[in-house]
Amino acid sequence: MTISSLAISEQVADRLAPYIGQFNARMWIKSAARRELGLLPEDLRVEHVEGLMDGLRTALSTLMGRAAADDLLLQIKREVS
Amino acid sequence: MRFRWLAAFPLLYAALFALVAGWLGAHSHALDLFIPGQRIAVRILATAGCCLAVSVFARGDHLRRAWLLLGWGAVLILLRDVLRLLPPFQGSAGSAVILSGLGVLSNFALLAGIWELARSWKVAAIELPGGRSGVLAIAALTAVLAIVVAGPEALQRGRAVLGGDWGSLIFFVSAVVDILTLCLITPLLLTAVSLRGGLFSWPWGLVTASQISWLLYDAAGTLAPHLAPGGFPLAEVFRGMGETYLFAAGTVQFLIIRHVRRAVS
Repeated sequence: MTISSLAISEQVADRLAPYIGQFNARMWIKSAARRELGLLPEDLRVEHVEGLMDGLRTALSTLMGRAAADDLLLQIKREVS
Repeated sequence: MRFRWLAAFPLLYAALFALVAGWLGAHSHALDLFIPGQRIAVRILATAGCCLAVSVFARGDHLRRAWLLLGWGAVLILLRDVLRLLPPFQGSAGSAVILSGLGVLSNFALLAGIWELARSWKVAAIELPGGRSGVLAIAALTAVLAIVVAGPEALQRGRAVLGGDWGSLIFFVSAVVDILTLCLITPLLLTAVSLRGGLFSWPWGLVTASQISWLLYDAAGTLAPHLAPGGFPLAEVFRGMGETYLFAAGTVQFLIIRHVRRAVS
């Protein structure tokens, strides 16, 4: 279970890193997981992906606009769920 | 995606400018014609870059507002430069007021645009590198540099305005806006550094380069006009770099958002 949980945050970070860098990808996931779900990144499971995507939406929309952020988050959700 | 060619473009422009200016010769009539012409060309490029960036965002997007303000700033200053080449706008007091007004509005629009870009880190909750003390140290250094290069002009023009010379108002406003805008180099630079390794570091990096070029423009104009060899228009080189870096930043912003949409569609 731990390996699977780690994989969720790592998978999301790997998909965000090409756009916002590895450092910010990890920070944003950590922050969104704590704020939206009250969880640590290593405790994330597949059922948390939807909430995590919601938590990342505001920050990503700031950098790439709502439309591109929604498209990217939808794609990440499909790939890691 | 590689944007190095766009980042190199302002440097190529500067090299080309130096070659042409050197070939035309200092204080020549040809140079006097070349400078306003290339100035309008780089203003058009800056406007085009801002328009490209605006085009990829939807109404209500944070960065659309930022690029729209920068675009208005670029358009207004372009309009001023074009108008002042026309005979009706040369010499009369009324035209001077119109041209000054366009300059002031452009300055405020550019300041507001840079402010919107600079505060993106806060809106997006980006962690700036260096911690609080590091950020404060860089901010203090930038503020000192901004005051050193634009402060003397602001002081001189402020005194002139107080003495009743309203023609100096535009220069005073411009110098004060320069100081404020240059102080915003810190959040722009640190946002670019924080996003390193990601595509989105490029627009912030290039806008930072544009602002540093304006810092050098002010320095060339106020601190070291005598350093340019044989009347070489050094300030014009930095002005051109400031505008072409803005063009590059807007174009990169456009290309990245387009890339994101294509990658996920």
